[in-house]
Amino acid sequence: MIDRLLGGAKLSDEQKRRVPPGQYVTEKFPVLHYGSVPRTDLATWDFRVYGEVDNPLRFTWQEFKAFPRKQVHTDIHCVTRWTKLDTDFEGVPIQHVLDLARLRSDARFVVAHCEQGYTTNLPLDVLDDDDVLLADTFAGQPLEPEHGWPLRLFVPKRYFWKSAKWVRGLEFLAHDQLGFWERYGYSNSADPWKEERYSDG
Amino acid sequence: MSSTGEAADTARVEVRAIMARKGHAVELARQVEDRLDEAFASGALVRTPFLAQALDDLDAALDLEAGQKLGGKSAEASRFILRAIDGALDEA
Repeated sequence: MIDRLLGGAKLSDEQKRRVPPGQYVTEKFPVLHYGSVPRTDLATWDFRVYGEVDNPLRFTWQEFKAFPRKQVHTDIHCVTRWTKLDTDFEGVPIQHVLDLARLRSDARFVVAHCEQGYTTNLPLDVLDDDDVLLADTFAGQPLEPEHGWPLRLFVPKRYFWKSAKWVRGLEFLAHDQLGFWERYGYSNSADPWKEERYSDG
Repeated sequence: MSSTGEAADTARVEVRAIMARKGHAVELARQVEDRLDEAFASGALVRTPFLAQALDDLDAALDLEAGQKLGGKSAEASRFILRAIDGALDEA
């Protein structure tokens, strides 16, 4: 059990330092979602950016694939206590979308809207980070359907439910608006290094 | 303003009795949905904005396409949403 919590005996000291409190390391990529895996038709798929922006966006999959791209090598942490080290995600850096949308000065928060009504929320300063992507690729391959194909938000400094699968839009707001899990007791801030799992502690 | 009277009290008691039963969270959630729909239809309880949101979220959590299994988080979502519904029931 202690080995599991510390990340197992095979980890180097450097790796162990990368495991947040209460997490264990897995080499698997567990699948955790509610409901069904949505079926997506890329011919009709679109992505919207709206709310407190001067330039609302709607782009198709073809247009998305023409955006600049970025690779991020980092660790990911799930609220269910698994951590996966040294992952490689690739996609469009969020700053490209923010620049295109031209956020208004009162935009402070974002809600990610996904298939099946799933939402999650973030402060803008958490979203606007160097390692945040609209990710379509994991380990050099397109995301698998159960991991969010065709597109997921990727916010590795927060527990992974904030990296919303099957994302279809970003809504920028002046006020915070709780997402799906956040409404029902998950932490709003979700920082794995502070072990912010649930809002009631 | 929350609903009052015998029908409202009965509906709340019955919804909470379903929540308190032993059983799989997904199945209990479906029973709660059915009982609440009945209470709303009869006017015993009012569908407050919070309950409307919670029931929409529950629908999403329990949505199952043909040929698929429910995701592993459906049961947890059901438990969390039922707890929130319990807390909001007195306002309905």
